[in-house]
Amino acid sequence: MDRREFLRQISLWSAGITLGVPGFRITGEAVAAERPEAVVSQATGKDYVALVTKVLDPLGGMGKFVRPGDKVVIKPNIGWDRNPEQAANTHPLIVKTLVEQALAAGAGEIKVFDRTCNEERRCYVNSGIKDALDRIKDKKVTYFHPDPRKFIPVDIKRGKAVSRLEIYKDALEADTYINVPIAKHHGLSRLTMGIKNSMGVLGGRRGNMHHDLGQKLADLATVIRPKLTVIDATRILLRNGPQGGDLDDVKVLDTLIASADPVAADAYTTTLFDLIPEDIESTVAAYKMGLGEMNLDAIRIISA
Amino acid sequence: MTGGKKIPHFYWRRLCQIFCFVLFSFLFIKTDYSGADEIAYAVNLLFRIDPLLAATASLAARTFITLMLPALFTLLFTFVLGRFFCGWVCPLGALLDGGHRLVPPVGGKDGVYRNTKYYLLAFLLVAAWFGLPAAGYLDPFSILVRGLTLAVYPAFNALNTTFFTFTYQHGPDWLNSMTEPVYAFLKYTILPFDQKYYDLALLSLFILISVILLERVERRFFCRNLCPLGAMLAVTARFSLLRGIGGSKCGKCRNCREVCRMGAIDEERKISRSDCNLCLDCVAVCPGRKISFAFAGRSEARTPFNLSRRALVSAIGAGVILPFFLKGRSMAVNPDPFLIRPPGALPEDEFLGRCVRCGECMKVCIGNGLQPTFFEAGIEGLFSPKLRGRTGYCEFNCTLCGQVCPTGAIRKLALQEKQRTRIGHAWFDKNRCLPYASGIPCIVCEEHCPTPEKAIKFREAVVLDDNGTEVVLKQPYLVDSLCIGCGICETKCPLPGASAVRVTSAGESRDPDSIIPTTGGTGYLGG
Repeated sequence: MDRREFLRQISLWSAGITLGVPGFRITGEAVAAERPEAVVSQATGKDYVALVTKVLDPLGGMGKFVRPGDKVVIKPNIGWDRNPEQAANTHPLIVKTLVEQALAAGAGEIKVFDRTCNEERRCYVNSGIKDALDRIKDKKVTYFHPDPRKFIPVDIKRGKAVSRLEIYKDALEADTYINVPIAKHHGLSRLTMGIKNSMGVLGGRRGNMHHDLGQKLADLATVIRPKLTVIDATRILLRNGPQGGDLDDVKVLDTLIASADPVAADAYTTTLFDLIPEDIESTVAAYKMGLGEMNLDAIRIISA
Repeated sequence: MTGGKKIPHFYWRRLCQIFCFVLFSFLFIKTDYSGADEIAYAVNLLFRIDPLLAATASLAARTFITLMLPALFTLLFTFVLGRFFCGWVCPLGALLDGGHRLVPPVGGKDGVYRNTKYYLLAFLLVAAWFGLPAAGYLDPFSILVRGLTLAVYPAFNALNTTFFTFTYQHGPDWLNSMTEPVYAFLKYTILPFDQKYYDLALLSLFILISVILLERVERRFFCRNLCPLGAMLAVTARFSLLRGIGGSKCGKCRNCREVCRMGAIDEERKISRSDCNLCLDCVAVCPGRKISFAFAGRSEARTPFNLSRRALVSAIGAGVILPFFLKGRSMAVNPDPFLIRPPGALPEDEFLGRCVRCGECMKVCIGNGLQPTFFEAGIEGLFSPKLRGRTGYCEFNCTLCGQVCPTGAIRKLALQEKQRTRIGHAWFDKNRCLPYASGIPCIVCEEHCPTPEKAIKFREAVVLDDNGTEVVLKQPYLVDSLCIGCGICETKCPLPGASAVRVTSAGESRDPDSIIPTTGGTGYLGG
């Protein structure tokens, strides 16, 4: 940019005139290069605080993923106006513990949010996540309802079913994105896990994602690439998902699954429902796009 | 007090008006989900101290509505203090006083329409009894809160959001570092949580603006001439203990007459108890300090009413007869199928009788589902709430509308009861629903269906898509006995334009005749 161009831009911006919202470019090649190792850690225990440490240890602990000063996004599922027992949202204690661990690892700032399906405030309250995060008295931690102004159109260069999606700015800007879904039944996709949970950073009309959902989720996964996926299977919803509501549909497993490989995390979690990874379209589509490993034989599974 | 400068009386009045207006605004903003399922403040207080609405709703319900008991205190205070309410408390009055410099009166005739409010009052009371609920169209609080809820508040939010979106997207960082905290503060304090959209936004704005523009004709035109609540208070204030004492032995200045916003002072400088709203401006302008307010004995003669018997009889007659014209319309036997009332709504006639069109339920509805009705419920149903599923839905775990309704037109339901209350029923249009019509997978409706056992289920089917290719996909269907009509399926249906699943009032709990046939057999011929 030469001086003339620089001055022109400065004057235009200062006058508040520009031709469009600045886009956000993500080069597919750059992200594809850093393909993580297909290691999945799974741990079981009733003490959920200890369980988080236990499941992360074999992967190198939180410090492996969060560097001092990092901008961290922790993205739980807060999609529904349901309480923790109903197993529709990520368990608040898991979210809280992950936030605390990221703080301990030196995170510069931690943001927690989800674009909900039911009324936003009710979801944050009833899920228990608002209350859990309120207990952390640290200014580095913020949670909020997505601001409609901050969804940025992103070209999905490698997309097969979608070419452009509106994605929340903070999710794109994070140094470390930690995906914390709950594993549960879902009518259309059969199961909701990590890759499906990324829909919570989407703006616009998300309903359209449901036409060819599996491929579209995989397309989204080419740009939303969590460094760490922690799947909450402390209690799983077996029927009437993704929001449930009936405690008879909930099965308590007291289990967490963690992996740097989002596809492997989903593939392994599928087995908890007596299904195989091939049953889940988004897993298959993401695997075919080279976003991770889905063959259980090729995944190193560590029971911590 | 002799040495210092005494604060003029009308300052206290202004202070009180400002206080009441701020309190009213606070309650208005607090008419929202607060993080708790129960609303902590008496946000509907304004309507519960309104004796006009208490009277008309009680007449229509044929029972005294205990929720509206506070209205009796307003009458009691009026009996003691006169029509102070209009001058000191009423937020619409405060708005008119506060804005009168923007719309100064052009001057003109005096007192020509003064009695209109009494005829309106008579009509409204009688019509309420005979089945034409119309008080909400003329009640000052209904006009104000409805106008604010449906028009002003959403526009205010849109204005702010547009401005701060512009600065955010197009402004340099140094500007954002100043504007964004301001926006955050506004969001935290006075802006609504999110943008709401309402039918009849402009009509309700037009009505509110009209009341303000009538100031051009004379000050407090609405209060003097039209306000039926004012009429009710005026009737009571005729007997009030406190009253203004003027008198004719004071000279020729007539300052008091000119300053009187209610036109309450006559040529002899007698102050009418029915009209005076105790603003105390006359006390301040009287050069001889001759005007005072005092609790006088009863010997003082009351100003005559001067109502035309003919007009009064006509008003009452209209109140008796007009309601019967409503009975002969086709909608009396075939109500609009898309008229879906909120959960807890009383049976239609009772509901309309009690509903005071205040808009509180629409203000509090967190799903933006409740909308004002236009003519779907007849001319007497204008501005009453209905669920418009395409705009918003009834949140499964929410009971707020029943909590804020000041008259019990929408009953306060316990959560479990609400979750079993059917407000309608969803129907699929298979000609439009993608998995049926085009062989394209979807079932967003099934995903969002909130009943613990979903009312929307799906079957796997092999169909031909638009290219003639065989595809296996999931087709949604409705389990009639589980649907409660919340409308989330209609709201979330990703089809552009009209939803492929629509809710109608069929099956609604409040109407025992509204039964949906099932394969189990509930038909007349069934055994």
